[in-house]
Amino acid sequence: MRQALALTALILLGLVVGGLSALWAINANLTGTQNFGGWIGSRLVGSPAADPYTRAIVARTGLLALTRKEAVYFTRATDEKGRALSDKCTYRLDGGPLPARWWSVTLYAADNYLAVNGDNAHSFDATRASRTPDARWSVMVGRDHADKGPWMSSRNSGRFTISLRLYNPEAVVLDHPQDVAFPTLRTLSCGGAGA
Amino acid sequence: MKPWIYLAGFVGAAAIGHAAVVLGTPYLITGVVMNRMSQHGQVVNRFQFGSRTTEASRQVVRPSPDLVYSSCVFDLSKGPVRVVSKPWGDYMSISVFQANGDNIYAVNDREAPRGVDFVLAKPGQGVASGAAVILSPSDRGIILDRRLAPTAERFAIADQVRRSDLCAAIP
Repeated sequence: MRQALALTALILLGLVVGGLSALWAINANLTGTQNFGGWIGSRLVGSPAADPYTRAIVARTGLLALTRKEAVYFTRATDEKGRALSDKCTYRLDGGPLPARWWSVTLYAADNYLAVNGDNAHSFDATRASRTPDARWSVMVGRDHADKGPWMSSRNSGRFTISLRLYNPEAVVLDHPQDVAFPTLRTLSCGGAGA
Repeated sequence: MKPWIYLAGFVGAAAIGHAAVVLGTPYLITGVVMNRMSQHGQVVNRFQFGSRTTEASRQVVRPSPDLVYSSCVFDLSKGPVRVVSKPWGDYMSISVFQANGDNIYAVNDREAPRGVDFVLAKPGQGVASGAAVILSPSDRGIILDRRLAPTAERFAIADQVRRSDLCAAIP
């Protein structure tokens, strides 16, 4: 009797340990991702060949994502020195034309939703960038709208992330993403001090 | 009882628990989203036209504020569903997701410049000849209509256009 109880307890413990290890793996995002200067993407998102871990991660952080033919997604969680993006800092995002029919960069709070701050300044997209003659663009990312230029508000976003969406991407994005001129991010200041 | 039996019981249970969570997570999360989108199953096989994406949008993680979303939770258990989406003068797409969130079909405005019109069915379900048919491996899932509309003005126009969209069970 005691042996059967011990075995039952071990089986229950095993189920819990196994479940928790799966949650850790999903949250740690251990699947085959690629890093392009801080922009993290996965070839398997939206692919029929996606492994179960990728499916679980996508369900948690990007449910209803499209196939790569339709859209490719990259996420940035760190600055140019690998430090987590924070709403206590101010950054500048610089870029140029991107090889896609339409693109956007969008700031998400730590909970993966748009930050609740009342600023209505969560994203910047190709329709706004194309107004400049050379299609170069620059966006300030911070708590305050310091100048009149493009701005994404990070107020109340905690440790935020930025998503780069490339809709109807050109072949280079799918076949040679390392050749894409991704936007660059630079930390300007943190908590009132220069970075 | 021999010690290896305890070890085998623990390791086997851990493997089962791990696999169950990894494999079940997509179904669980997609199910929760379908439940929200369909207002707890009350609105099925019908497009719902979401308001402009703002910080109050909490149905699906990482929504784009530059896109207009319309969603239809489908249920093919009683028959196929017809999907019609009107053309839009900018990027638009219709995508179909099965019960585990896999994107099983997507078509955009370049591929369908005159709009989208297809029948979503399960394998084996009878569909009138001539209709474009998309097969879904699962009874239930989500159809998503995305239209690019980064400004309030464009949103207002897109909102009018999409009201003609159709997601309906075929009688």
